[in-house]
Amino acid sequence: MINKCMLIWILALTVLSCDTSHERQNATLHPPGVTDDRIRIGSSLALGGHAGYLGTQTLHGAMAFIHHVNAQGGIHGRTIEVIAYDDGYDPPRCVANTQKLIVADKVFALFCYVGTPTTVKILPLVEEARIPVVGMFTGANALREPPNPYLINVRASYYQETDAAVRYLVGERKLSRVAVFYQYDAYGFDGLKGTEIALRRFGLAPAATGTYIRGTLDVQDGLEKIMASRAEAVVMIGTYEPCARFIRLAHAKHFSPIFYNVSFVGADKLARLLGHIDATIIITQVVPPPEVSGKGSRVWGIRQYVKLLQQYFPDDQPNFVSLEGYINAEVLVEGLKRAGRQLDRDKFIRAIESIHQLDLGIDNLISFSSRDHQGLERVYFTYLKNGKFIWRNH
Amino acid sequence: MAQSLIDSIRNSSLKNKIFVSTTAVILLISVLIAVFVRWVLITTLTSELKQRGLGIAYSIAESSRGFILTKNIPQLTSLVFNARLGARRELVGYVFISGKQGQVLAHTYISQFPADLDQANPIAPEDDQNIKLLNNIGDAVYDIAVAVNEGIYRIGSVHVGLYKKHIDQLISKLRTTFLGFVSAATILFFIISHALSKYITRPIAELTKVSDEISRGNFDIRPDFIQEIQQSGVEDEVRQLSSSFLNMTERIKESRRKLQESENKYRSLFAGGPNPILVIDRQTLTILSANPSAEETYGYTQEELVGRPITDLGPIELNDPNRANPGGLRPGRICTVNSKVAYQKKNGETIYVNVHACPASYQGNEALIVATTDITAMLEKDSQLIQASKMTTLGEMSAGIAHELNQPLNAIKMGSEFLEMMVERGTPVTEQDLHQVVGEISSQVDRAANIIRRLRDFGRKADFSKEPIRINDPIRSVMDLIGRQLNLQDIDVQLQLMEDLPPILAHHNRIEQVIFNLLTNARDAINLKDESGAKGFRRCIAVKSYRQADRVAVEVADTGIGIEPADRERIFEAFFTTKKMGEGMGLGLSITRGIVEDYGGRIFIQSIQGRGTTCNLSFPAVTQP
Repeated sequence: MINKCMLIWILALTVLSCDTSHERQNATLHPPGVTDDRIRIGSSLALGGHAGYLGTQTLHGAMAFIHHVNAQGGIHGRTIEVIAYDDGYDPPRCVANTQKLIVADKVFALFCYVGTPTTVKILPLVEEARIPVVGMFTGANALREPPNPYLINVRASYYQETDAAVRYLVGERKLSRVAVFYQYDAYGFDGLKGTEIALRRFGLAPAATGTYIRGTLDVQDGLEKIMASRAEAVVMIGTYEPCARFIRLAHAKHFSPIFYNVSFVGADKLARLLGHIDATIIITQVVPPPEVSGKGSRVWGIRQYVKLLQQYFPDDQPNFVSLEGYINAEVLVEGLKRAGRQLDRDKFIRAIESIHQLDLGIDNLISFSSRDHQGLERVYFTYLKNGKFIWRNH
Repeated sequence: MAQSLIDSIRNSSLKNKIFVSTTAVILLISVLIAVFVRWVLITTLTSELKQRGLGIAYSIAESSRGFILTKNIPQLTSLVFNARLGARRELVGYVFISGKQGQVLAHTYISQFPADLDQANPIAPEDDQNIKLLNNIGDAVYDIAVAVNEGIYRIGSVHVGLYKKHIDQLISKLRTTFLGFVSAATILFFIISHALSKYITRPIAELTKVSDEISRGNFDIRPDFIQEIQQSGVEDEVRQLSSSFLNMTERIKESRRKLQESENKYRSLFAGGPNPILVIDRQTLTILSANPSAEETYGYTQEELVGRPITDLGPIELNDPNRANPGGLRPGRICTVNSKVAYQKKNGETIYVNVHACPASYQGNEALIVATTDITAMLEKDSQLIQASKMTTLGEMSAGIAHELNQPLNAIKMGSEFLEMMVERGTPVTEQDLHQVVGEISSQVDRAANIIRRLRDFGRKADFSKEPIRINDPIRSVMDLIGRQLNLQDIDVQLQLMEDLPPILAHHNRIEQVIFNLLTNARDAINLKDESGAKGFRRCIAVKSYRQADRVAVEVADTGIGIEPADRERIFEAFFTTKKMGEGMGLGLSITRGIVEDYGGRIFIQSIQGRGTTCNLSFPAVTQP
């Protein structure tokens, strides 16, 4: 009797709960952007406007290497074509560009995106299109956590940069009043968060915070707030123009804490904007300084960069930004090489993940894995001296 | 089919009934709820989600107005992608914004924008919104279109595609959750109803088991579970039932024990009693059971007795007119007494018994319990006593009888002396004289012989069988014996005997003794009165016999001294006498009454002191001679 009832009940359950869910099949037989002799790569970055220097230099660095590779005959018989659209460091334009790259241009992969607010915006598209993105010029945590299978970061994160800086400022210089000046967007928040986390390890919190709006130079209010806190150091999460203005204004007001910037600020442009100024300015870098003094065999990659940049973009001076673009291109090319002739997006991702302890001649080995989509970990300290940022060995 | 199902449920155990009905109700409710909830979910969720879609579309429309006017495609693109951020991507399939001419300005597709989609859900010019289910673009989608107006003119429209699948998934998820909950509840109720039905029915089943045991006569089983229930301290119907059952069992046990005791008692009475007891069927009179005493008395074994009609042993008179109507008989009441009935032993020997029969129920039959008390020895003693008394009487009578005998002897003597004298004188005796003398002698011899015969008759010991006799006969016999003697004592005996009286069942010999006793008592009373100094009274004994309804009566009245009131109570006691020592044993009246009552007779004595005594006897008449 009981069994019979059970059976009826189970049947009822089965009938009522039967549900049809069919897996969406999206098989791409021919990977987009790949032809017999060409691999099309897309990029949206700031080629003009207030962050134009960053985008331009990134692209130039990358293209220096890609031109070089194409000149050598390409990869497995295919040359690399890069379609780059200017987004002016404007997230909406970045999204529109990216959609255009995916839908209209049908690129194989995205490459060399610049900026946190812009890159973060394209994540939904990337996820939906399942398209790889290689070498973003941003250390945003959002691109690293949670791990995204299509994002290949090369550089160290802002968290790592701010952590190193806070260690130096608080741990070594024994400063306790650290203020944060940041760009009021995803980039600034990310840096602020990294700084706060690092400070918390020392039992500290930011002494003050000041902000400015992306694309403006309204740093006055932020500066006043920070000055009022009598900060001994200011962590600055911004782009070169507002940051330079902030430092100059502070200097003019005889407010002279240690100014610390993250790599994205664009060290060379900042140095040029500031000129010779009597202020302590530190910038953390995620690539080694491009002007290599010694002839150490460990930095042969940097020498090649300088050579190729000179060859393809003779007007440009070697700088941190274009070196990063150059390294990104190297990772892209290495991945494409490893993926082989039968190229597709998943294979490409797996190829990148297979890179382990790769020496690109930058005194820093590069490694990926299926769990780790960030190639480099090291943070370099540079400080402004005589209008130039110098590798500070300590 | 349905009928047989109902029947099988009706005939199933209580446990299953409770279980099945509870389960059925739960299942029914579950199914109803499931169906109802499904309906509610689908309608409310669909409309809710459409509202959400409208909300999204309106907010996009609001934000996009400026960008449409400025043709800021990047902002529009960013806007539509923002509308699909995060979890919304599960719900929102696509968003697109069309311009004034219907051209697509921005969309969320990362592949080619589907053809015809922009025209699939147009908004009528007079409306602000429109919702349409689209099935032709892959997954089924509710396209929610909202117009973007500048002033009163339309500058574009926003379309938000909601996955129907998402709604279905949501419904299915809710349904699964709900069904899971309902199933869990059902399983819980399964268990509860199972336990409940078991809790209710287990005591019943156990009680049934115990009842069966009890009905099989096993009272020693320990209803452990009842103890459990009692000890559990729960006050509910089950406990009440079990405790009342326990009480009932105890009562039954107690009454069984009492019954057993009583039965043992009565069985020992039956088995160990000195009297033969037979249980007979009331209708057929066959013996159903007999006690050892009966076996011993009648010489039959139990096996021989059982099944034999009691009439083989002896007669039984069930003078109860209601014998055929057992309702009229009440157990424990003796309804029949036969006394001094002759019963036959197996070896043909006759014994005399008193039969007591009382109705009873024996093994479901209407039965009679017949006790046959063996009174043979007692009768023997009685008759010996009577005989002894008679001999005493004879002794008392001997003087009178001697006198009686002397008269004929004297007459014979005189005759024979006359003849001798004649012979000596040589005087011839005339023929006439001789004849007269010899005749006289002969008649005197006859007379003497008659006296002796009567004497002998009187002295003979009577047997126990009664016979119909005429009451006047023994009276006359006694008068023959002692009439003359009484006359000699100057007592006038007046006989007033009614002829044609019906016979009575008695012994001639015994009745003679009774009459004799009464007459001698009367004589003594008259003599005592004389001795007491009374003068000039009539010395008279009147003996009368007459009929008194269906009885035959005898009256002996004397004019003697009478009985003192103090003695009146005691005159029937054995060994009570008013006579002088050595003149009587004091058994006369006692024996007399015994004899009279043996024949169903009654005796009354009326006496006026100094005036005389009247004795009244009456016997039942034999109606059919």
